[in-house]
Parts: sequence; C-alpha cells; structure tokens
Amino acid sequence: MRRRGLLHGTAAAGALLTGGVLPYALTAILAPGEARPRRNHLRPPGAPRDDEAFVAACIGCGLCGEVCPPRCIQFHRRDGGARVNTPYIDPGQRACTLCGKCMETCPTDALIRVPPADAAMGLARIDRTACYPWVDRGICGACVTVCPLGGRAIGFDFANIYRPVIRKGCVGCGLCVEVCPHPSKPIWINPPKQSTNSVGEV
Amino acid sequence: MTAAKRKPFFLWRHLNKLRWLSLSLVFAMLVALPCLHVYQTYRAAHAYDLLAPSEQRFYDIMETLTSPLTDDPAEDLDVVKGSTWSGNFWGLKLSDPLAALGHISAGLTLYWPFLLTALIPLVITAIFGRIFCGWLCPANFLYELNTNLTAWLQWAGLKVGHRRFDRRIKYLVLAVGLLLSVFSGSIMVAAVYPPAIVGRELYYGIAQGGFGVGMVFFAGTLLFDLLVARRGFCRYLCPGGALYSLLGRYRLVRLRRLVEACNDCRKCNAVCEFELDPWRDGFGQECTNCAACIAICPTNAMTFDIRPFDHPEQGPGHLGQRYRRGREEQMDEAV
Repeated sequence: MRRRGLLHGTAAAGALLTGGVLPYALTAILAPGEARPRRNHLRPPGAPRDDEAFVAACIGCGLCGEVCPPRCIQFHRRDGGARVNTPYIDPGQRACTLCGKCMETCPTDALIRVPPADAAMGLARIDRTACYPWVDRGICGACVTVCPLGGRAIGFDFANIYRPVIRKGCVGCGLCVEVCPHPSKPIWINPPKQSTNSVGEV
Repeated sequence: MTAAKRKPFFLWRHLNKLRWLSLSLVFAMLVALPCLHVYQTYRAAHAYDLLAPSEQRFYDIMETLTSPLTDDPAEDLDVVKGSTWSGNFWGLKLSDPLAALGHISAGLTLYWPFLLTALIPLVITAIFGRIFCGWLCPANFLYELNTNLTAWLQWAGLKVGHRRFDRRIKYLVLAVGLLLSVFSGSIMVAAVYPPAIVGRELYYGIAQGGFGVGMVFFAGTLLFDLLVARRGFCRYLCPGGALYSLLGRYRLVRLRRLVEACNDCRKCNAVCEFELDPWRDGFGQECTNCAACIAICPTNAMTFDIRPFDHPEQGPGHLGQRYRRGREEQMDEAV
C-alpha cells in the first residue's frame, strides 16, 4: 500500500513538473537558437558592449522599436532561442539615425542614455577592393555626407580626397551602410568587441 | 435583524460592464499604438508621395483620427507608448511586476529605476488582488471571448474540455521560469506570459510586418482552453497569474457573499471564469475581483468587503431551501 502511495506521489510530482516545464519547452521549440549572429546585426544605441548583459536586461517589451522614427529597430521574432524578442538593427535595410529616443524610453538598463558620440554600436569597415573611389571607379562620398557625427567618424583620405576612411569616432550607426550605392555594400559594421584593435585598416 | 437589510451598493452590479469596457480599451490601445507608430514614421520621413496607395489610405485615416489631437504627430504621439508589459504614459513609466522579477533573476541585479516602475502595479495588486488579470490583461479579453466561443460550440453539440488540474501548477511555472531565467541569462517568463505576448505580437503584426512565434504559443493556449480545460492557461499555467495571486493573497478589497440574501442558486459558481466557489465563500487568492458573480446574482447577495481574509464559510443561504429546512428542524427540536 505504501509503495503504491509512493508511486502515485512520484507520478503526481512528475505530472506537476511536466506541467511546469511544458510552456518553456514549447517556446524553446518554437524559437530555435541561432548559431551565430549574422553580419550587420547591431544592437540599438546605448546597449552594453557585452551582449549577454544586454540579453539579461532586455525584457522584450518592444518599446525601443515603438518609438524609433525611422523604424530601423527590428526584433528576433521567430529565432534566437534565449535571444528571442530582443531588438536588433540591420543597417543594410534601414539604419539608426542616433536620435536617442530608444535610450530614453527603455525602462531597463538594456539601453542606457548616452550621447550619440558614445553609442558604441560597432565600428564601420570599408572594403578597399570594392568601394568605388578606392578602385578608381568614380567619386562617391555618400557615406561621408550622410554620417551624423561629421568628420569624427568618417572622412576622406589625405592622399585622395574622394576615398573614405573610418576614423576613431565611429559609433557604428550604419547610415553609411544604408546609403552605400554599391550593390555588394563594401562598407559594413563590425560588432564593438572585435573592432577595438586596428581602427580603420582592413 | 439589521443585518438582513444590508444591500450591496447598486453600481456594483454594473461593474462587470465597466470591466468589459476597460478590457476593450486596453486591447484597442494595443492595436492603436502600433498603427500610430507607423503613421509617425511616415510623418517623420515626409513620405506621403512615396507610399503605396493602400499605405496612403492608411495615412489619410490616421491623419483624420489624430489631427484634432495634435499638430505634430511625429513628436506628440510619443506620450503614450508600450503595452501592459511595460509602457510609458505621459511620462509615467509602468511595468508588470513579473517583468521586474524576471529582470532581477536574469541579470541577478537590482536596477532601481526599472524596479520602481513596477511599484504602482504592486501596490494596486496588494489592495485589489488579481485585478490586472480581470480588468486589464489583453489576453484575458481574448480568453473570455474564447470562453463564449466554447459555450457556443457546446450549444452546437461539439465536445469541449472540462478537465481539472492542480491550481498550484502555475506557481511551479513561475518558479521554473525564474530559475530558467537565472541559468539562461534571459527573461524566460516573458515568452510564456500571454499579456506580454499579445501586446508584443500585435505590435509585430502591425508595425514589423508579421507575427512572431508568440502568436503560435498564444494560439496553442487558446486551443488548450477550448479543448482541455476552460480558462486553463490562466488558472493552471500563467506565471503572471501566479505572481499576482501571491501578491493579492491578503488583498483588502475582496468579494463577499451576504448569506442572508443568498438563495443557494449557485449561478455565481457557474459564471466564475476561474471556477472558484463563491457560493461556499471560497474566493481565495485567485479571485480577480471581476465582479461577474455580482452581476449575475439574482438576489443581490454579492458585494465587496474590506478585510484581509475571506469570510469563513457561512453555511446555506437564508433564502434557500436548505436553510429553511434546517430552521424548521431546529424549531421542531425547540418545541
């Protein structure tokens, strides 16, 4: 009789535990994890450099996206595993204008209010084997013209005044990527971690 | 015999209508805000001439709706943003206490500017109990409509679910969610919490070009309610409901049966979405103060009371047969 009670108890506890874990298992199946973040996926400005800290602080409320005037902030809606519902910016589609509304509205410490020059979303890189002025296919300068930080982040090369070079002040907003007329986008944004060394050189 | 003359305040019978109004308004807000955001982005970009005809129609509608309110929609409409999970209302930031708890457990930090946004909901819950579930939750709005659908299906002769489980499972869901948040370093409860899902998915669907996975999960919970247990997710699985139940355990404002006006018809038990036992004074911590039992009571025997505990069971209603029979027996014994 006691063994039976024990058996029933174990079964009940098992059923309870299954019930408790079931919703989370379902979400894990529904949003499969991404092995690697894709190139050009940036966090919004004001996010900590450490992506783990960002994911731990983001509650997935979507407020940053809801105030973004260019609607550049997108969300991991169907992927990302534990990162599901966190925001990202794909500057190839639409880039951040550093207006700062997302930092102001974020209720948590996922996005901290910083001046645009300290946003640290990443660092732009230029492929000098494809960029039109760098391969002498014409003069362009779209990236330099559009940069919201002016001469601090991107400027023209000293030797050839049509060739763009990245400077130390770049925060990686990605507007240069958005406007780049080259079909293969020879300018892109590296995440902030890898970009701490060899500024502006490829 | 002064007690027999106690009558509930007459407006409380109509609170349930007010509750439906509140639920509809919250849901309408969650639909309207993403639309307003899309309109704002069009305005900010001065993009009218670049839009497709359907988008221009949308722009015109939104312009007609908002022009009496503001001249500068791109800036002025930012005053209300967000959802019930976390929102910004005229400068007042409010968040779900579950979001605060999830934030603490995922980062193992206390970030006060965020935790303070959950303070007002916390105090309201301590006074009114699970009022968020009954009065504001956008998922509850859909779940209650789903209950009506269940009733129609049943009327049409289809089989619907009426299984019962242990109500304590949801506390386990909450505990497991917080533990998973600690170990995974991301706020796991947000992914299984229907009000957060509904707010988010409406935004994704309208402004981001498509629903996310949360919609699949939410559809699953609707089916669960339909086929397995009536209002099953709220009652057995919702981690937020569990948190609000715990916070509202000693709530001050609670429902109470006036035993001298009760006729034991048990309509309150039938109408209770959470299958509580108002007829036997069994409200407990799970009651959402939704006031459906007040609205349906034919003898005005349900009212609000201010006390931190439920009344102990008061026995059969004085207008009911059982009470009268008992009285007659007592009279016989006395004679």
